[in-house]
Amino acid sequence: MLRRLGILIVALSVSLSGTPEAFAQAPDSRDSSEYLIKAGFIYNFAKFVEWPSAAFAQPDSPIVIGILGTDPFGPLIDQIVENKKIGARSFVVKRLKWGTDFKELRDCKILFVGASEKAHVDELVQIVKTLPILTVGETPGFAERGGVIRFVLEDNRVRFEVNVEAAHQADLTISSRLLTLARIIQQAAAETRKPG
Amino acid sequence: MILQNLSIKRKLTLITMLTSSIALILSSVSFLIYDLVSFRNLLSQDLMTQAEIIGYNSAGAMEFKDEPAATATLSALTAKEDIVTAVLYKPDGKIFAHYFRGNAAFSGFLPIHLQKKGSRFEGGYLEVFQEVTLNGEHVGTLFLQSDMRQWSLRAKRYANILIIFVLVSGLFALFVSSKLQGLISKPILHLEDTMRMVSSNKNYAVRAVKTYSDEIGRLIDGFNTMLSEIQQRDTALQSTNGELKTRTQELEEEVFQRKQAQEELLKAKHTAEEANRAKSTFLANMSHELRTPLNAIIGYSEMLEEETRDTGKIENVQDLRKIQGAGKHLLSLINDVLDLSKIEAGKMALHLENFDVSQVIEEMVTTLKPAAAKNGNSIQVHLADSVNTMRADVTKVRQILFNLLSNACKFTDHGTVSVNVDQIKFENREWIQFQVRDTGIGISAKQKENLFQEFAQADASIARKYGGTGQLMKGQIWVESEPGQGATFTVRLPAQVVFEATENVQSESAGKIPAGPSETKTGRETILVIDDDPSVRDLMSRFLSKLDFHVVAAANGEEGLRLARQVDPLLITLDVVMPECDGWTVLNKLKSDSKLAGIPVIMVTVVDNEAMGLDMGAANYLIKPVDRDRLAVLVEKHRVARTSITDTDLVPLSYVAEGPAGRKTVGARVPKTRRN
Repeated sequence: MLRRLGILIVALSVSLSGTPEAFAQAPDSRDSSEYLIKAGFIYNFAKFVEWPSAAFAQPDSPIVIGILGTDPFGPLIDQIVENKKIGARSFVVKRLKWGTDFKELRDCKILFVGASEKAHVDELVQIVKTLPILTVGETPGFAERGGVIRFVLEDNRVRFEVNVEAAHQADLTISSRLLTLARIIQQAAAETRKPG
Repeated sequence: MILQNLSIKRKLTLITMLTSSIALILSSVSFLIYDLVSFRNLLSQDLMTQAEIIGYNSAGAMEFKDEPAATATLSALTAKEDIVTAVLYKPDGKIFAHYFRGNAAFSGFLPIHLQKKGSRFEGGYLEVFQEVTLNGEHVGTLFLQSDMRQWSLRAKRYANILIIFVLVSGLFALFVSSKLQGLISKPILHLEDTMRMVSSNKNYAVRAVKTYSDEIGRLIDGFNTMLSEIQQRDTALQSTNGELKTRTQELEEEVFQRKQAQEELLKAKHTAEEANRAKSTFLANMSHELRTPLNAIIGYSEMLEEETRDTGKIENVQDLRKIQGAGKHLLSLINDVLDLSKIEAGKMALHLENFDVSQVIEEMVTTLKPAAAKNGNSIQVHLADSVNTMRADVTKVRQILFNLLSNACKFTDHGTVSVNVDQIKFENREWIQFQVRDTGIGISAKQKENLFQEFAQADASIARKYGGTGQLMKGQIWVESEPGQGATFTVRLPAQVVFEATENVQSESAGKIPAGPSETKTGRETILVIDDDPSVRDLMSRFLSKLDFHVVAAANGEEGLRLARQVDPLLITLDVVMPECDGWTVLNKLKSDSKLAGIPVIMVTVVDNEAMGLDMGAANYLIKPVDRDRLAVLVEKHRVARTSITDTDLVPLSYVAEGPAGRKTVGARVPKTRRN
């Protein structure tokens, strides 16, 4: 009994000490660890989202992850998705620039909109809103303006908002399991914000 | 076992209850176990399903490291009361999120080694591991622990229900069995009651009532049949008893009547016996009375005859002889009457003694010689070698032989009378057989018939009295004869007569020889005659004087005793019936006096009590009227005995004896002075 109690206490202390440790790194090397997590999240989103079958040319067509604007991940995201597969699909990471790569922009299945493209959000939304592209941003109001997912930092933790309406317009099915973890954002807010 | 002594009611109830309860409990418990086991499996499946759902729902949270979301998902388990612990582990084994029921820190135990998938029962808890995957990728492990509260609650509820169910159904079974056991126990109890009633009241009319026709019904039938049989027998027994009682009463009455009759008969018998005895006594007395005058008649006629013959008056001699003969005849008749009366009165007694047969024969022949010579007969004696002594009543033997011989002499003229004496063996006993044969007129067949009858004619005067006498000694007598061819009388007597009732040890009077030297005063021997009858004294004196004795006479006992001392006689003749001092007294005094005890005493009396006389020491016993021949023989014998010591000049008496030894000399000696 005592022995088991001892084991229990050890397990507790391990789990309690583990959790702060993981997040303690975030403030110290903010860019690297934050974007490591965000890169992981992007990969994870692919697991909970279903694209319409027409979106892919072939059943084993890769999932193209586009990074628009300044790349905050560096090689991290390439490392994460390397050799990863969802079903038969592998991942391809492409770095894109606003204005030049519109054609390639349309081929993306996940499009990360970097903070540098803050000014082009509305325009971008208008372009891709009916395309089966999961837009992920991090600028404030991204989801309200029509982006599907926006990363939020909350108590030093990475969280995300989901605009269900936008996902619906893009013909994307987002798993409820993902939704339970997200903050749901209304499209209406984006409409009212736009004229303002 | 206590159970065995319970009443049948209780036994039946108990058996029913036990059986039904056991069956009930067994089936309920097995059902309960089955239900609980399947319920537990159900619970375990349920828990696994739950784990799958939670694992699925937690996958996102795990993937996005959203700890609050995972905790929130786990918190949904609050609705499930039996789940104690829920823990989500990261793939590296570290705890990601946890849930403890009631916010208690840790009510259960956490597993050390995680399993991929599966359920187990550990320490009263149901534990389930569920792998959390996302797109086939392992993202963590879910651990659920249930205390199976539902299960134990259900078990508790079931146990309660079971207890209540068993109790209620037990009560119901008790009720039913107590109602139904009567089916079996009631008839048995009734039978028992009936049995008790029968045995305590002895009332066999009671019957048990048959209720059902099962085995007990048959038992009751059998019992009733048995009872009716017993009743029948009882009735029969009672009636037999009653009959027996009546019979017994009848018998008792009959016995009583018979007893009365017997008493009357006994009285009558006594009276008759008394009368008979009186008659016999009368006869005996009469005989005695008759004998006394006869004594005188015979004695004096003999005297007269001798004297007349001496004086030569022959013509008177014949007359005197006729008187004498008639007297003797009369005497023998009187003797017969006397003996007969004695036999009738049962007074005939035997006086057994050992005696020499040859001596008796010799005396007999000597006595009868004159009678034989009278008819010109000769007497021949044949004595077998084997014959020696016999034990019998010598007087009776002598009487029988005397009568046979005298008759033979009487009915034979110029012939031979022979006496044959033999000892024979017959029917395993020794007998002495006397045969008296004559060559006389013989006896006709008709005469033979009457021969041994009472009071037969004088011709056959041996009469029954000898038969009677012989029979007393267990002897036999018969006759063989043809008219004109003579007759043979045979008497057979036991060599050793045994007659316990009257046997007396006799003094061997014949062999008694007075001790002491003989003393002879004169040439003649002295004889003392004691008798109160002067005629007897006179006759005895005259007779004995003729035999060359000196006679001294005394008229009474006193005088007799005095004279005995004075003269020291050769012998004394003594009368019994005398005034003042009677013969018995005198005999007693003589025998008790040492000086006189050696003198032989011959009793001469009318009193017929030889046994008493011999007992008291008398040498001989003669009954009046005295047979003078016999007296002569006896006196002679005593004289010989007295002188035998000095006088050796004796002539042996010879007999013609039969047997291989031929002629034989027998022991008796006869003095030469003896007259024949």
